[in-house]
Amino acid sequence: MKKTIHIPLGSQHISLLEPVKFKFECENEKIIGVDSDVGFVHRGVERACTTKFKFDGVGYVVARVCGLCAITHSMTYTASIEKMLQTQIPLKAKYLRMLLLELDRIHSHMLCLSHVSENAGFEAIFMRIMGDRELIMEIQELITGNRVQFDFISIGGVNRDISSEHIKKVKEALKVVRSKVDGYIDEFTNNWSLSLKYKNIGVLSLDDAYRFNAIGPLARASGLKIDVRNEIDYLPYSEIGFEMQTSTGGDIHARNVVRLNEIVNSIQMCENILDALPEGEIQTKVKGKPDGEVLVRYEAPRGELAYYVKGGGKPMLDRVRIKTPTFASIPSFSHIFMGSQYADAPAILASFDPCLSCTAK
Amino acid sequence: MKESFSKAFQNLFKKPQTIDYPVTEIKKDKDYRGLIEYCEEECIYCLKCEKACPPGAILFVGVENPPKNEKNKKGLKYHYNPYLCIYCQECVRACPKPNEALWQSNKKPTIGVASDRVNDEWFELEAIKK
Amino acid sequence: MKKVESTLENIRDDIKKFYDYKVWHFITMNGVALDGERFEVQWIFSRYEAMDESVIYYTVTEYDKIIPSIEDIIPSSIISQREVVDMFGVKIDGSEAGLYLDADSLQMPLRGCGL
Ligand code: SF4
Ligand code: SF4
Repeated sequence: MKKTIHIPLGSQHISLLEPVKFKFECENEKIIGVDSDVGFVHRGVERACTTKFKFDGVGYVVARVCGLCAITHSMTYTASIEKMLQTQIPLKAKYLRMLLLELDRIHSHMLCLSHVSENAGFEAIFMRIMGDRELIMEIQELITGNRVQFDFISIGGVNRDISSEHIKKVKEALKVVRSKVDGYIDEFTNNWSLSLKYKNIGVLSLDDAYRFNAIGPLARASGLKIDVRNEIDYLPYSEIGFEMQTSTGGDIHARNVVRLNEIVNSIQMCENILDALPEGEIQTKVKGKPDGEVLVRYEAPRGELAYYVKGGGKPMLDRVRIKTPTFASIPSFSHIFMGSQYADAPAILASFDPCLSCTAK
Repeated sequence: MKESFSKAFQNLFKKPQTIDYPVTEIKKDKDYRGLIEYCEEECIYCLKCEKACPPGAILFVGVENPPKNEKNKKGLKYHYNPYLCIYCQECVRACPKPNEALWQSNKKPTIGVASDRVNDEWFELEAIKK
Repeated sequence: MKKVESTLENIRDDIKKFYDYKVWHFITMNGVALDGERFEVQWIFSRYEAMDESVIYYTVTEYDKIIPSIEDIIPSSIISQREVVDMFGVKIDGSEAGLYLDADSLQMPLRGCGL
């Protein structure tokens, strides 16, 4: 019988920002078994949504599931209520929603890229990306008024209009970020020391991506064409130049490339939105109580986010089920770890861009 | 590769990205969201703001010497909890007299300490309300 | 959104017949409390690259019945099965409790919730 050792990673670890615990069973340096514990920050959001808050306030509650992709949560929840109440929201509100959603994706991907490079031992690029990310954070704060919890989307539209002065500032910032991202693409593809830590490490094959139902950049890096923005009709993504970004290879490098290309695409989309911003109202009055059940999906920065909402014609909802991206990816995470070197585990984990606050909700 | 070395080297001599807080003030835009402000004389006591607030940071509670206002038939007084407020602006949107009776400023709350009894006082108000 | 009813006995066969792993994407497993004794178990799928095409397999059952596991058909279902076990305090073949909740937490928080 072979002898194995157990090495834990987390729940507090120098390379982890989030409370997750992996127990690796290792044979020398090779990982042959993985066990994970993700429930450290469970807050009972689903229960609170059906016992403490009326449906019109729940949008603000679910935004607190996550600090990085708060707006995708309020978007998906709001879309499900609007679908139930059969509300048509003004086109301008849809465009403003997409603007903020894409800005959110840009800053979230930048955060992930900076952490992947940090965990590969490249601190300098971590600092640089974090510094540039601040530009996006600033324009988000300018448009919405809040830095992290935007509370920008509400049932029936959006809460704030964008002024021409802000449009100018956003465009300028996007131009700067665009030029910086071109620099990162060069570095992430050509830097020799980064490629040592990224290429052919943490590989997920296309077949495994299908079998483990991988989502988000993780799946697209393996060549699986799943991007919910391509599969929804409540936001007009085809009008603003959305293109699905995929890659092959399925390793950490491919995930970085997918994220970088998505940033470029998102910047392009934001510019298109600002150029083609329609005139009109940003809010409609919504009447009625949600009745029936709906399933609404949206592509959060980390992958597919799904809301199942059931209402009974009362102010309180019957059920709010939140399926968060990281939660659904855990089986694929565990699969990728198998057979990898323990020393690569932090970089692989960072390349998943895990969000434990979402996972445990 | 060469480029990233030279960039890393140049960065050693650049100004830091962070600001020297509190010596340097944080930039504050006039549109940032902050505390909710209220004008007693203009309020018509419709209580729409109280109903709309998701976390319940606005409470109208009956008091003995209520603010003088002919619309204030039930003798209510406005209470606002800046530490509970999430700055979502739902109350201002619900108010029939926005910018007169209720509006959002860009001020931030002072730091609440235990001796201010911010929680206890609020729980007492909530108990009266129930 | 299409809903297909099944029973606890047939659900494994139904999903096995239906699930082609290159066509259907398994989103999650879900539970919805109906009343004090019964709840609805759902298995939610969507089609790859199709415009908003989802299918929900569901069955209404009592809390004390053992729900069959579909882990061998869809390996990624393990995690949402464990969540349902925790949230509703039910038993699913081979899924342990304790993903989110500890011994001193509120137990089965979603049972009978939202009624
Ligand atoms: S801003 Fe939002 S949280 Fe604050 S008092 Fe108004 S409604 Fe309540
Ligand atoms: S909604 Fe406006 S007018 Fe009505 S009670 Fe509140 S502050 Fe007064």
